[in-house]
Amino acid sequence: MRHGGAAGGAGFVGRTAARSLVGAFVALVAVTLVVAVVALLVGEESVSLSDSLVEGSRDAVILWRLRLPRVLLGLLAGGALAVSGLSFQTVFRNPLAEPYTLGVASGAALGASFVIVLGGGFAVGLPWISLAAFAGALAIGGVIVGLSASRRGVRSETLLLAGIALSITCSAMILLLQSQGTMDQRSHIVQWMMGSLAVVGYREVGWLALWTALGSAVLVGHRWELDVLLTGEEVAAGRGVDLRRVRVGVLAAVSAMVGALVAVTGPIGFVGLIVPHILRRLVGPGHLVLTPACLLGGGAFLVFCDLVARTLPRGMDLPVGVVTALVGGVFFLWLLLGRGGAGR
Amino acid sequence: MTPRTPMTSGARSTSGSPATSGASVAELTAVEWSAAGARVLGPIDLRVRAGECLMVVGPNGAGKTTLLRLLAGVLDPSRGSVLWGGREMRQLGRRALARRIAYVPQVRPARVPLTVGELVLQGRYPHFRRFQVGPAAEDLAAVERALDRVGIGRLRDRPLDELSGGERQAAWIAAALAQEAEILVLDEPTTHLDPRHQREVVNLVGRLRHDSSGTVVAATHDLNFAYHLADRIVALADGRILACEGPEEFVSRGRATELFGAPFEVVRGGARPVTVLELGS
Repeated sequence: MRHGGAAGGAGFVGRTAARSLVGAFVALVAVTLVVAVVALLVGEESVSLSDSLVEGSRDAVILWRLRLPRVLLGLLAGGALAVSGLSFQTVFRNPLAEPYTLGVASGAALGASFVIVLGGGFAVGLPWISLAAFAGALAIGGVIVGLSASRRGVRSETLLLAGIALSITCSAMILLLQSQGTMDQRSHIVQWMMGSLAVVGYREVGWLALWTALGSAVLVGHRWELDVLLTGEEVAAGRGVDLRRVRVGVLAAVSAMVGALVAVTGPIGFVGLIVPHILRRLVGPGHLVLTPACLLGGGAFLVFCDLVARTLPRGMDLPVGVVTALVGGVFFLWLLLGRGGAGR
Repeated sequence: MTPRTPMTSGARSTSGSPATSGASVAELTAVEWSAAGARVLGPIDLRVRAGECLMVVGPNGAGKTTLLRLLAGVLDPSRGSVLWGGREMRQLGRRALARRIAYVPQVRPARVPLTVGELVLQGRYPHFRRFQVGPAAEDLAAVERALDRVGIGRLRDRPLDELSGGERQAAWIAAALAQEAEILVLDEPTTHLDPRHQREVVNLVGRLRHDSSGTVVAATHDLNFAYHLADRIVALADGRILACEGPEEFVSRGRATELFGAPFEVVRGGARPVTVLELGS
């Protein structure tokens, strides 16, 4: 069943494979729902569902004003990160690729920081911060795509090192911006750079929902091409896949999603690395199935990490990015060393 | 510089005598390919005739793979033109080109997370319509035909990574057949295979040639593979075509030694000659 469902070939998903695929999705939806409900009810202040239905009550405010947008944001951001990581791993043929490791998230953060500092704090609207983050993501992504598409071909290790180098450069420029900002801006950027789902309203949720939906639709639209890319670029080109178009399409979709989410949550690492690898084992490598699975699983994973971040250390609201980075760092090492993954 | 050659002695003809009279399906004119300012291949003139089996031989680095890539449209020529059925390749579009030519590269990812059936289905990609959700009945039928022709129907549900080298090569060839193109291009299909699997792949290519009027272009280091199946052999050295002739001429003119700078002994007796590399000083 590991291989069931690849290529989206209904004709090749046998009866048992199809049934276990449905089973996997039912399980995924169930897990997501359970995580979401627990995340709604559990926290520093426990709330009860019945009390929260009383308008104006303390529980209602906590649940509907604070927790629900936070959980929704987590679902969307996690999903967007996971599908971005999935498509990057396929396009760059590198199991360690994701927006964070390739520096695309840092590019987005740099773009957003620019607007935050130069635009005079958070008075600037979300669309502008998103746009700047999108531009930053696109710029870094463009460099990465250019490197990977160069005629001589770049080894995957080189690609990752380039991503790290770009990341460091972006971080340095963010520090430069911070040093020019006011005390307030500085602490805000530091907080924001850790990646957090805290303090959001429904406006941010709606904004991210729009871009996640559009980006995911573009990625699903490229499912055949991404499937064929599993057999390598040369074979894919021979099958008639327009590699340049696929790269540009995926890059644009990922940059739009990452730009929108970084503008809201800050850069959150490793969700896009971990989730696709786990789900690939569960539902197979076919993108028609794996993309929606990542959308669900990424959301559940990020909401779970956020739940851990805000409940485990008593009394401190740890940014979720710290938790995902802790888990992700270990996972990254395991992929790099344990599976000889980088040479895939 | 495409020398007109007499029809080779053992050439099987599927429609008339393809080696002499066949219309050309692909035409390379003054084609060059350069990387970083250095010319890797060309200038080259070559016509691929309908129904023929054209084998490309030459030492490492002669440009065999580059030639096949240009033919398959995976690379764009730096200079010159590649015509397909009289039309400029670039105007044809990638998917349209993939419906005319199917390419099996030599270098492929070490791990491909697909089953044989899934891989072969991917050969249908150039035939998919834009908003097609799953494979159509005709796609599934083409997959069955391809699996049948290669004789690997029983491997359909096996993960590609678990197959032997020969079976894996057969699966890649089946995927290319599912493209239902006029030309099959194979890059060193027998390399890295043990003798039994080499024989299986050679026989498979021979069978494919017999069963249909398809055109086959293959690069190989295995001279006997070339002698066994080729209508014409392209001798490639330093990016240029040294000769393009039938196996008999190739052997009688001692091209192997000329190309590789190594002594070969020719063994005759069968329908086609066989060469053996002489070892030792």
